[in-house]
Amino acid sequence: MSEPAKTPLHPLEQRVLAALKDKQWVDFDSLVKSSGLLPDQVRRAVSWLASKGLITSREKTTRTLTVQQDPAELLLIRGIGKTGSPMEKLRQTFKSNQEFAAALGNARSSGWIAVEQKDGEPIVTLKDKDKAMQNEAFIESLRGKETEEGKIPAEYRSYAEKLVTRNVLKRNESKSVTLRITDEGVKAAGEATSEDWIERLTPEVIARTRLTGMSPKLRPIDVSAPASGFYPGRRHPVREFIKEVREVYLSMGFVELEGDNVQPSFWNFDALFIPQDHPGREMQDTFYLSGLVDRTINRSGVVDRVASTHENGWTTGSRGWRYQWRTEEARRLLLRTHNTVLTIKALSESKNKEARVFAVSKVYRNESLDYKHLAEFHQMDGIIVGDGLNVRHLMGFLTEFYKKLGMKDVKLWPTFFPYTEPSLQIMGYSEIAKDWIELGGSGVFRPEVTLPMGVDVPVLAWGPGIERLMLLRYGLDDIRALYDGDLAWLRKRVEFASSST
Amino acid sequence: MPVVALETGRFSQLVGADKKKILDRLPYIGLDIESVETDRIRVEYSPNRPDFGTDYGIAKALRGLLGLELGLKRYEVHPSKIVVSVDPELSSVRPFIACATADGLDFDDEDIRQLISLQEDLHNGLGRRRKMVAIGLHDISLLVPPMRYRAADPSFKFLPLGESNPMQLDQILAETDTGKAFGGILAGKNRLPILEDSKGTVLSFPPIVNGSATRLTTNTKSMFIDVTSMEMPTGDDVLAILATTLADMGGKIGSVKVSYQGASRDTPDLTPSQVSLDTRLISRVTGLQLSDKQILDCLRKSRLDVSGQSVLIPRYRVDILHPVDIAEEVALGYGIDAIQPEYPPSKEPGSLNRLNQGLDRISESVAMAGFIETMNFDLVDTVSLYARFSRSSDSRIEVENPKTIEHSVLRDSLLPSLMAVLSRNVQATYPQRIYEVGRVFLRDGAKVVETPHLSALTAHSSASFSEAKMYLEALALVHLGGPIQTRPAAHWAFAEGRSAEVLVKDRSIGYMGEVSLSALAGFGIDVPVSGYEIDLSSFLQNKL
Repeated sequence: MSEPAKTPLHPLEQRVLAALKDKQWVDFDSLVKSSGLLPDQVRRAVSWLASKGLITSREKTTRTLTVQQDPAELLLIRGIGKTGSPMEKLRQTFKSNQEFAAALGNARSSGWIAVEQKDGEPIVTLKDKDKAMQNEAFIESLRGKETEEGKIPAEYRSYAEKLVTRNVLKRNESKSVTLRITDEGVKAAGEATSEDWIERLTPEVIARTRLTGMSPKLRPIDVSAPASGFYPGRRHPVREFIKEVREVYLSMGFVELEGDNVQPSFWNFDALFIPQDHPGREMQDTFYLSGLVDRTINRSGVVDRVASTHENGWTTGSRGWRYQWRTEEARRLLLRTHNTVLTIKALSESKNKEARVFAVSKVYRNESLDYKHLAEFHQMDGIIVGDGLNVRHLMGFLTEFYKKLGMKDVKLWPTFFPYTEPSLQIMGYSEIAKDWIELGGSGVFRPEVTLPMGVDVPVLAWGPGIERLMLLRYGLDDIRALYDGDLAWLRKRVEFASSST
Repeated sequence: MPVVALETGRFSQLVGADKKKILDRLPYIGLDIESVETDRIRVEYSPNRPDFGTDYGIAKALRGLLGLELGLKRYEVHPSKIVVSVDPELSSVRPFIACATADGLDFDDEDIRQLISLQEDLHNGLGRRRKMVAIGLHDISLLVPPMRYRAADPSFKFLPLGESNPMQLDQILAETDTGKAFGGILAGKNRLPILEDSKGTVLSFPPIVNGSATRLTTNTKSMFIDVTSMEMPTGDDVLAILATTLADMGGKIGSVKVSYQGASRDTPDLTPSQVSLDTRLISRVTGLQLSDKQILDCLRKSRLDVSGQSVLIPRYRVDILHPVDIAEEVALGYGIDAIQPEYPPSKEPGSLNRLNQGLDRISESVAMAGFIETMNFDLVDTVSLYARFSRSSDSRIEVENPKTIEHSVLRDSLLPSLMAVLSRNVQATYPQRIYEVGRVFLRDGAKVVETPHLSALTAHSSASFSEAKMYLEALALVHLGGPIQTRPAAHWAFAEGRSAEVLVKDRSIGYMGEVSLSALAGFGIDVPVSGYEIDLSSFLQNKL
């Protein structure tokens, strides 16, 4: 194998080398400024260049001085009048005798003042005002900023040192990295600029290449730069989940139904042996459509059989609910509260003694919305009709159905519905709540439901909700989030991979 | 659904088992555990088992399932010699009454709490918020029988429980909390029901309030229970549950003679009822192959019993309507978690509904063109459906008594819902392209017709009619059987001059355009929006 071709310099590397061409030691922040790149880009380029030996780095300790306080002797100087001031008067401008004595001593040894006796009183006079003023100016120049020690003028260095000892000036030390181009780096920078890059291919360049046989090089780009955001079109997560559910049902031999969301009370309640004064039928829980009724519901045929069953059990062998059934109540139009209405209708129309049907669609409950409740949601109802079916088959079906939807563990607990006996509620385990959560209800239809429909074989039924299961899957804690229409979530949500085998 | 609070220590003693065992088995008598605290378990029970309204009732069932106490619990009733005469005038007001006495009581605070909770649950459940059944619980010590259940004038006065001065019946109805809450049950009646003793002490004014004189306290040793109802069997059921609960609490139950004109009956009747034992049906429903002895054992665990070919059912069970209910009792006694599931294989292949398949295919195509699918509610508010587009709401389909006004009318168009989505996402990056496939609801005479629609909107700084048309045309060529024709036509969503009717093969299928400035302003959207809404029904096959 031959030696790999030397990779050309990356444009970031070129920019950094260019900024270092003065062969000076440059610190990181200055390099960012002079190269015009982002700090991240400079960091990347520096690490590549360093590994190639094109730049070298060293740690630098920078010492700076800042002004902590005014030197006392300057205060003294400022207080001295043109012809001098009595020492006593000056002494009083100081807080303590010690401070005054120190100031006096310093000013004297710097040669700025002289003390004379006049009329028996010591008088302080300025001897070398200019020198004092210069020192004052020096300190002013340091005030309010950090000055590098190296930048201090030579004649003030020893004075500055003294001031540091006296805490007038404070010395700060900081370490920083500085960078410098190496000889190899200088060479590489020179070579790079002589290359002939083109920015991009265009149809003209391609055509020219064909004619001339010359292949210009493309300037290397920063392939690690982030891409601009793009949001592809997507299906709604609930629709995707519904699709999954439909496919599970299909795989278990079920025929899909669909039907109207608006139903007469008869098919939604009466046909399911729910008595007309049952609390769940009230406006509180059900959406009745104002002023709309279905006049095709009359006390004959299946309607009559159901009504009689309510009143006295009819021929089902039941006691019935023992009340007076009313046609007007059954005629009221409502938004269906469950999907069993579709499966029940199919039951009444079917001539088959065997059937498996399901429906996944919307149901409506007159509820206030909160983190656990919606007024509109979806159920995935199904029934299995057939001779010889019993509650063990219901349990077997539900266990397998939920396994296919990714819930390996479901528990079945006894519960109550007016239209099934026995009834079971399906519990699934939530990793987030660390608890068993109700997923839905199921049961074997009561004879009071099936016999008036003309069905004399067992019917297994279930009607769990879709959204609850989705909350468990997506780890959501607020059911309303599914229908918020939050574009950020709809665009960016991560695809869920079902963990079922 | 009603909830019972079980004090852990007390309940553990009633059952005769520890907390762990109790928590493990409670779900298997059909109870939902709401919460478990150090000293309390809250359980929710289904309305078919009103006898679960106190810890006594639950303990009785749990002891059976745990094998600690099996079979039917017998309840003795001795005649109390108290008579209640019923005024025939009440037959058109609140016709039925059933009563009982309970002696030898030794209540503590928790007993009273449980009893009141049961009374409340019975009122709300079987009592249908007191309309069907109302209960009065009384301390009997000051009462002098016989009692009279009679009709009184609205001006009749007595001191009701909770008040400091005697009030007239009509005052009670108009001024007190219970009067206002339940007075509607007696609406239009100018003679009102009163239960009083021979000295005129008022026990109760059903279904409104009890008399103050007969208030229950922890010192009460003997009680009188009155249950008034609109239907005799339901009243009897409620009395039976109260009487058996008081007996469970240690009371001795006395029967009362209720005398209607001429005929009289003794209440309560706590003799067990009977349903025929159908072992074949039990096997068929449960899928369990059980011997007669095993069936008997399971029933006894459910606190039932067998005598000959009949199943004996205690009087507090009001939910046994049909022999299948017996099959469930066997399954519960067996233990639902002990039943082995069996997968029922299918003989026939399944199939998906063509209408739904068709909708799915169209939806996929729209998503593939770069649109994000939304799902919005069918029930919306009148402002976003009508007012924001200056539409009349005359043809609206409303629901009765919605809990929130945001969900009060059925939408007849998808587009307003999409505009609402855009208005909630003004902080998200543009372009925003969204769509929905859903049903719209329209009046057709006395009926409601549901139609599948597709609507899509595109929102960004240069959204235009031509962009919307480009997308719709592409979709139409694949799914709608041909190119679209667009004719100028006004539409409430779209700006004048930028609005069109959409046709395929000369048949109108919907509208498209640039959304009007006023609609944009109404929804607070600061970029132009264009889009379409079409009816999909003629493009979907819904029958094979």
